Amino acid sequence: MPLLDKLRAIVGPAHVLAGIELSPYVIEGRTPEAAVRPGNVDEVAAVIAQAAEAGVPVVPWGGGSAVGVGVPPARAGLVLLLTRLSALVEHEPGDLTATAQAGVTVAALQAALRARGQWLSLDPPDAARATLGGVLAANASGPRRHLYGTARDLLIGVTVVTADGAVVHGGGKVVKNVAGYDLPKLFIGSYGTLGVIVEATVKLRPVPDEERLVAVRFERLEDAGAAVRALLASDLIPNAVDLIDAPSGAALGLPPAPATLAVGFDGLGEQVDWQVAALASVVAPCGGAKPAPLPPALWERLAAAARDAFDAPAAMMTLSVLPGVVADTMEQGAEAARQRGLASAWCAHAGVGHVTATLRAEGERQDAAPIAAVLEDWRAAAHAGGGHASVTWAPLPVKSALPVWDDAGAAGRLMQRIKAQLDPNNVLNPGRFVGGI
Amino acid sequence: MATLTAGRKPVLRRELEALVGADGVLSEPDELLVYESDGLTLFRALADFIVFPTSVEQVSAVVRLANREAIPFVARGAGTGLAGGCLPAEGGLVISLMRMNRVLEVDYDNQIAVVEPGLVNLHLSQAVGPRGFYYAPDPSSQQACTIGGNIATNSGGPHTLKYGVTVNHVLGLEVVLPDGEIVWLGGRTRDALGYDLAGVFVGSEGTFGIATKIVVRILRKPQAVKTVLAVFDRIEQASAAVSAIIARGLVPAAVEMIDQLTIQAVEDAFGCGYPRDAAAALLIELDGLAVAMETQAERIVAACRDAGAREVRTAASEAERQLLWKGRKSAFGAYGRVSPAYMVMDGVIPRTKLPYVLGRVNEIVAAHGLRVGNVFHAGDGNLHPNILYDPRKPGEEARVVDAGAQIMKVCAEVGGSISGEHGIGLEKADFMPFIFTAADLALMQRLKDAFNPRGLCNPGKVFPTRKSCVETGPVAYRPHAIETQGLAQRF
Repeated sequence: MPLLDKLRAIVGPAHVLAGIELSPYVIEGRTPEAAVRPGNVDEVAAVIAQAAEAGVPVVPWGGGSAVGVGVPPARAGLVLLLTRLSALVEHEPGDLTATAQAGVTVAALQAALRARGQWLSLDPPDAARATLGGVLAANASGPRRHLYGTARDLLIGVTVVTADGAVVHGGGKVVKNVAGYDLPKLFIGSYGTLGVIVEATVKLRPVPDEERLVAVRFERLEDAGAAVRALLASDLIPNAVDLIDAPSGAALGLPPAPATLAVGFDGLGEQVDWQVAALASVVAPCGGAKPAPLPPALWERLAAAARDAFDAPAAMMTLSVLPGVVADTMEQGAEAARQRGLASAWCAHAGVGHVTATLRAEGERQDAAPIAAVLEDWRAAAHAGGGHASVTWAPLPVKSALPVWDDAGAAGRLMQRIKAQLDPNNVLNPGRFVGGI
Repeated sequence: MATLTAGRKPVLRRELEALVGADGVLSEPDELLVYESDGLTLFRALADFIVFPTSVEQVSAVVRLANREAIPFVARGAGTGLAGGCLPAEGGLVISLMRMNRVLEVDYDNQIAVVEPGLVNLHLSQAVGPRGFYYAPDPSSQQACTIGGNIATNSGGPHTLKYGVTVNHVLGLEVVLPDGEIVWLGGRTRDALGYDLAGVFVGSEGTFGIATKIVVRILRKPQAVKTVLAVFDRIEQASAAVSAIIARGLVPAAVEMIDQLTIQAVEDAFGCGYPRDAAAALLIELDGLAVAMETQAERIVAACRDAGAREVRTAASEAERQLLWKGRKSAFGAYGRVSPAYMVMDGVIPRTKLPYVLGRVNEIVAAHGLRVGNVFHAGDGNLHPNILYDPRKPGEEARVVDAGAQIMKVCAEVGGSISGEHGIGLEKADFMPFIFTAADLALMQRLKDAFNPRGLCNPGKVFPTRKSCVETGPVAYRPHAIETQGLAQRF
């Protein structure tokens, strides 16, 4: 029996997409052979087992918001849609934990949790579209990671389907657990290359009494960088410290300024009030203006401010550097682009050194060479800042002009050994990740 | 794995001395005895050599030598572990990291420190304290245990309720892999490139290699701290108070529970001001901004009173606060007042299951004709039932071991875990199937094979196997050397 018929037998004919139905699932110009929508974990396992047997690669797909990340695949294979696995399986407020299926969108999950006074303290962009499983697989994060960390600080249990179709659990449902290896850590940020996340258990937090976002404007980026260092060295406990350059600020509708620091606080009302007042005296010596309130609706747009700065981006890069050099990296990066005649937009979760940059496309005909050259400059800047940088989006000609992922060095060989152990036949999202994994 | 012949040992000793110096190798039987167990003296095994490298190059060279000889090796810190995780296989090498104990670098701007694995946990907080910083993970053995050992077990502590366990504070590791290769996993920046290998390495109980440099986050000391003692006439009330605090949207830095038997032992020993007739007490700590600290404390007090607390007291001074914490932190030592020996259990349950599980623990222990004292991290559901017994009474230790296994089963049944911070080691290897399926364990084994394909690095741990050559039957309790020196207690 051909693979498609086997898949139809597993999930029902209505949930196997082919032909024109595949147009939303084209990956970097390649059309998959089919897309399949399993309705439960057993069906996911059966689908993967069949694909593995047929030698067809499997691309797990949540909301599709990170599908442009990584090396273009040699073959798009079978797109495995997880959107039907969208149940909130368990939420016990007294335990501050919840278990949900991978296909639930972040927005839907948060709405259900908030209805009971709690939230998952992870705020990646595109919450209405991004799914829990996808956010974990891509290790996506947002401004509040400054205080609350990333998926590795919140994920306590995970269920995955491995390349051989086995259903495997790691971690558990309790907030503290050292039994066995920490498999949740292994799957976070693994982009579906080691297993398909089908269910996750996360730590929750109570919704704070109050939350406020304020903007501090600076005449120079480097002054804002000094203010970030002063803020980190102060007694204040912000939940977000985002540094935004002029083009990103314009995209967010902020008043024009060479640099804006968006700082968030949460907690009891008096804590928030006191901190906003104290912030003014922390930033003033660095040249910061008086903190001005920002509309709460801006929170969810902060993480993607640089991405959304240009109607026609030419490439995007994410840089991980030491917090102390974020402003310098942004300044140097923008200058490197200018020198090649290109405009760029930058934003950063500055307190944790997570920087995002976008290049603007100039005109109709785009030459990949200068774009790739700027990206190489940015990568060099990240290395100089003690970190690394990877291309998170770019057209195919740019992606073929420089390595999409940074070089993981000796650790990269260890990653390849892990991939070889867990997916020896290269079934899961092959060829897209670090080191050719 | 190979076993060394008597004739081979002197040759190897000379080779090891050439690598780490003549004063860096122990092989006399009386010297080896010191390293035959960790804090769990139930298990013992003798190595052929104890080796004390002072650099990553030496660690790598020793590991390569072990590979050449195909003999097992295990890294060891202070030996305060409670699961037998750093025991040697019968024979082979113990690689002690105690001479690699420096703080290599502190970067206050970026709030990170680079340390060697043999650094004592508390010494890091002492080193950065004058600048207003500290290292958050605070296992109760922090005055003796090492950061490298904390990496192996992913150690917790009272304040992990708010601040997270060891892995939440580790950014990068320089590691000697089991074949001797030196690699960096993660680095100094927050986000790893590729798989989160540093995150996977932490908690691997020494089976993935040996960490030789560790990049950790250091935190600013909070502006204010407030400590509350809530006293209850019934243990269920104390359990309910834990849930009530959480339900009111409060996340204290620590919520510790101390039961009556423990209170009485602590009062006999130290007089910390806990009421002797209380069924249970909660020690609750808030930290953070000075502003609104009173408001938060009022919420805590209200939650405890609503749950039936007969008394709620706030430490009025730093001295009183220290005294309350002394009661908690000295509890294990105080058990010596009421019992010749005890065995500490480590399990985790969902917070809402506390009343039920504490009841079951009491039933199980009573059914074995034993007594139990409970002092534990109630806020995150991490139980530490301490079963008291007399090792001189025949059969009593075997009953303790059996009761412990039953308690672990209960933790598993309510959706919990068989270890919250002590690790699996040898002690709980056979309990792993309580919470993991064969498929789960098979995946873990493949992960191990990627790091440790020859299996020479800390063999026989974590996975259920009865092939271990280690003495596994219950044996009489005796204090470990570091206990008699007063360096550590059993937590």
